[in-house]
Amino acid sequence: MTSPMDLAKVLEEEGYLIDKEAATTLFLALALEKPCLIEGPAGVGKTQLALALARAEKRKLIRLQCYEGLDLSKALYDWNYAKQLLRLQLSKTEDWDEVKVDLFSEEFLLSRPLLESILSEEPVLLLIDELDKSDEEFESFLLELLAEFQVSIPELGTISSKTKPVVILTSNNTRDFSDALRRRCIHIYLTYPSLEREISILRSQAPELSEQLAKEVCEFVARVRKLPLQKLPSVSETLDFARALQALHKEDLNYSELMGTLSVLLKYPKDIAKLEERLKKWEAESSQRR
Amino acid sequence: MDGWNFIRLVHALRQVSLSISSQDILDAQICLARFPDLSAKQITKSIFVHRPQDAAIFETVWRILLQNPESSTSNDSDDETKNPEENPDSSGIGGKGVGRGSGGVSLTVKGNNLDSSNISNLMPFARLEELTGSELGFEDVVKKVLAEMDYYSWINSYDLAYQRGNLSEETWYAHQDRRDSLNREIRQRVMTAQVSKENSWEPLVRQHWLFKSLNTLTEKEKELVKSSIRKWARKLAFRPGSRWKTSHRGIIDISRVIQESVQWDGLLFHLSYRQKMPRASELVVLCDVSNSMAAFVEFLIYLVTCLRARFRKIRLFFFIDSVWDVSEFVCDDDLSGVKQEIKSTGDKVSSGFSDYGEVFRELAENRLNDVSSRATLVILGDGKNNYRPAQTEYLAQISEKVRNVYWLNPLEIQEWNERDNMMHEYQKYCSKVYRCRSASDLQKIVQDVF
Repeated sequence: MTSPMDLAKVLEEEGYLIDKEAATTLFLALALEKPCLIEGPAGVGKTQLALALARAEKRKLIRLQCYEGLDLSKALYDWNYAKQLLRLQLSKTEDWDEVKVDLFSEEFLLSRPLLESILSEEPVLLLIDELDKSDEEFESFLLELLAEFQVSIPELGTISSKTKPVVILTSNNTRDFSDALRRRCIHIYLTYPSLEREISILRSQAPELSEQLAKEVCEFVARVRKLPLQKLPSVSETLDFARALQALHKEDLNYSELMGTLSVLLKYPKDIAKLEERLKKWEAESSQRR
Repeated sequence: MDGWNFIRLVHALRQVSLSISSQDILDAQICLARFPDLSAKQITKSIFVHRPQDAAIFETVWRILLQNPESSTSNDSDDETKNPEENPDSSGIGGKGVGRGSGGVSLTVKGNNLDSSNISNLMPFARLEELTGSELGFEDVVKKVLAEMDYYSWINSYDLAYQRGNLSEETWYAHQDRRDSLNREIRQRVMTAQVSKENSWEPLVRQHWLFKSLNTLTEKEKELVKSSIRKWARKLAFRPGSRWKTSHRGIIDISRVIQESVQWDGLLFHLSYRQKMPRASELVVLCDVSNSMAAFVEFLIYLVTCLRARFRKIRLFFFIDSVWDVSEFVCDDDLSGVKQEIKSTGDKVSSGFSDYGEVFRELAENRLNDVSSRATLVILGDGKNNYRPAQTEYLAQISEKVRNVYWLNPLEIQEWNERDNMMHEYQKYCSKVYRCRSASDLQKIVQDVF
């Protein structure tokens, strides 16, 4: 890939439509071989971008899903204690010094996603998903990996990557990151797509939808996103909503026939009630116009 | 992008608190050299912006530095992005003498045809320079400019039409977008004029969410401050006190394990653990919730809520001229009830004018009986006593009863000596007094006090 346009094109072939600004930033991150931190509200396609990039670049995807309490033994490595015990039982006659060294060799090492991406012979895309859910200690630990593409294991020393992985970190902004982490990454902020882009996404992801329905659904969702809701509908929810209407054999979007389908679009009862209330107003407005 | 402009850009961004490392500069230079076809703005923005909130600051700096003819005339004769429309001498539709007396164009006439291209003609730069030259602060200049453009009549007419149902929701949203973009544009232009006038980036720094007064923050900026408060509080949660306490989890308490094993002939049946105790055992927060203080109270309560895990007990009192206990808000992450509480109870129990002396008397006589002597008292208030008696003896009494008294005052330090302000009397009885006006002040207080 020699330009952001090339990158956007190959991503489009993989079913991901990216805007020019984000494509340029991602292109620069790849060119500089730096990790890319993608932030934005839930459901705007952060993880999907990483998945599409892995397919486009023909890299093996290694994914680390973050959560509160995630530690090194689950993210980086752990020792295979059962195997070590077996080794000890077999070594009753051997010299202890020899066994001691042997016990902490690579043979007894269990690779977790981060180590796996460092040791991999083939090109890899490492996706560290929802990093904001992990603890601050884990974030600090990542600094070495993000800056040097290496990790330190006390018993074995420093292990450097064999092929430099592409690293994508995603975050839903539930907490802020340290300056140290941000400095090591190129930053992309993804937000909800424009109306035209969302129509294109719907057309490419669900070609079975009629042009009219796709357009009306996207216009409706764009209107819904302007309401003060607890959780705004994501792109995938727009897609589900359009598919739900299609399954109900709707050719176009009629406000009076949406009751019952809104739970596909919105996930909180309060939000649904708010939208139902608003739908009555919109319906009255549209009938006035007619 | 030539080297001179690049250096100016880096320097300006650093001045307005963007952290740009040498590695960032190197990366940007590599990309500018390797990809000459890509826009310099896009490259530098991608490399230098590390937080979503910094994107807007970058845009402003770029615009002032590389797109604004007023500030660049003295430095850049070859500025490729110079826009002739922005020349203050141009006589477009908003030129001097057209529309309202002071040079602007009335939005009530032009409002419906408003788009970003003719926004730039609504207010001549010369008039902006004139306004920024006065003693007015940034927000006041923005308000004055908007008033001169008839902005408030314009938005009122739309608000009324919407309330009466004469406006469709679609038109209403379109109007909201136009309103936002106009507001943004005017703020940018005022900022440009201020930077140009002061010949420094200081006006932009003052508008950074970290340094801006908490009562002038936008909703987005409020979220940023809250997110930072969460971060600071989280850091503090990892900074426990020095005393140990037996617990169900934590690290193994060897001496206790051995002690207990003695009862069972040296056999271990269960392990004992210990944990470090929180630094302060009790926190008492006293907030003035009179009108001028409301914006600041919200952030202090949010901070206290985030810190609740660090204290054995937190008590929260609101006051105006009498005190009421609202400790239940500390357990609630959603602070929407706080404003409601201030309004509903505040109207019932007070006259609306702060009376610190009376509040300290009530606190000392009725509320302090069950407060621990190791407690910390944090007072949030401006110290304005509306010419009522200071009654400092009660604050002295409180100060003796608790371990520390910290006073957080949202007014500028020079305002503490105004005639109706009792800070000079009260601060003698406080362990420390802080100015608590901006997020950056709050950050310092978090580090010092908690």
